[in-house]
Amino acid sequence: MAASKNLQIVLVTPETTLLNEPVDSIRLPMFDGQLGIYPMRSPAVGRLGAGELRLVQGGTTRSYYIDGGFVQVKGPVVSVLTNRAVTAESLSTKAVEDELQAAKVRVAKTDDEFAAKAAELAKARKRLALAKRGK
Amino acid sequence: MAKARAVLKRLKAVKNIRKITRTMELIATARFKKAMDRATQASAYTNKIAELAADLASSATDFVHPLLEGRTEQKSGVLLILTSNRGLCGGYNAGVLKLVQQRLRDAKAAGQQLRIEVSGKRGINFLKFQKIEYDKTYTNFEDKPRFDEVESIATRFISDYTAKTIDFIDVAYVKFLSPAKQIATLESILPLAKPQVKTTGAAAATVDYEFLPSAKEILEEILPAAFKARLFKCFLDAAVSEQIFRMVAMKGATENAGEMISSLSRQYNRARQAQITSELSEIIGGAEALK
Repeated sequence: MAASKNLQIVLVTPETTLLNEPVDSIRLPMFDGQLGIYPMRSPAVGRLGAGELRLVQGGTTRSYYIDGGFVQVKGPVVSVLTNRAVTAESLSTKAVEDELQAAKVRVAKTDDEFAAKAAELAKARKRLALAKRGK
Repeated sequence: MAKARAVLKRLKAVKNIRKITRTMELIATARFKKAMDRATQASAYTNKIAELAADLASSATDFVHPLLEGRTEQKSGVLLILTSNRGLCGGYNAGVLKLVQQRLRDAKAAGQQLRIEVSGKRGINFLKFQKIEYDKTYTNFEDKPRFDEVESIATRFISDYTAKTIDFIDVAYVKFLSPAKQIATLESILPLAKPQVKTTGAAAATVDYEFLPSAKEILEEILPAAFKARLFKCFLDAAVSEQIFRMVAMKGATENAGEMISSLSRQYNRARQAQITSELSEIIGGAEALK
């Protein structure tokens, strides 16, 4: 294992493979918090939450917004499977604010609807924070 | 002259048709390549999900999930039919619809309640013509099905299945096996097959994963994702196959038009020649008479 002092991120969505490249470190949004990954991490499988995926490579940081999914750490390869992934730069503050507003005004009558609304709100707020910081 | 001119008119028409079919063939080829690329890219996700599910299943063997349990009585279900929006693609739609008819007959014999959902104008028109009732229609899936569109359908299926209002889901579509082989198939996509646990051997060098939160909880989340990916794959397969069918059909049409053109131009030349001969003999005859 000592040989693999590098880290490879593979970011796949159902439609395409977005990333497959070496990075220095990765920070993932988990279902209950954040998880940082450096080279030589022990194998793991985890459930992701919505939020920011941050990649550091040679001093530069890139951010993606990902919408849940799974992560698998196996050797030097970190596979991130998610339904939706967009770069932080492509999120426009205006569009996200509109989405947040749309989620706010939705009327939730049942428990399920209420839970869906709360989840939607939390996701929209995370997107907004990311969009604002990207500017 | 009348005959030669009529042949010439037909000849021009056939030449125009050949131009159109040749263009359609080229377009279908380009679209097929794009659709194929999409399908290969999408397979990365499906394969990874399957790999994860297998890894997880080997650590949580006593696992039960509503999507995995089959029902003893298959009373009602959904039949999803994937056809194309446009024609001129050979036996593409006919193959699927033949299977659908068979399935409908079987369902009638077994007393099953089938809810039919159909994608593509060709399928909709067929059902209308056959006076078969259908529940939902989609015409938004062209050669580039998008995941979020498929996902909303999949989510509805999952909630219906877990609420036990339906006992199974079948999909009739043209499965893509290789660029040279696609077959119309009827597949049951729910209940899901249990994730295959790797058997002992070289491939079974399983990694000792750390699970966050636990194998069971992750598996609970991954099964719906696997189902969505599977349904998405059906749509992608159908899109790729449609382009291949169209490509083949248009290639045949172009070739036939070419054959027709050569036979028509021969006919035209004969008619023209015969006409010249007859005109010549008329002139000679006229000249002879004047002597």
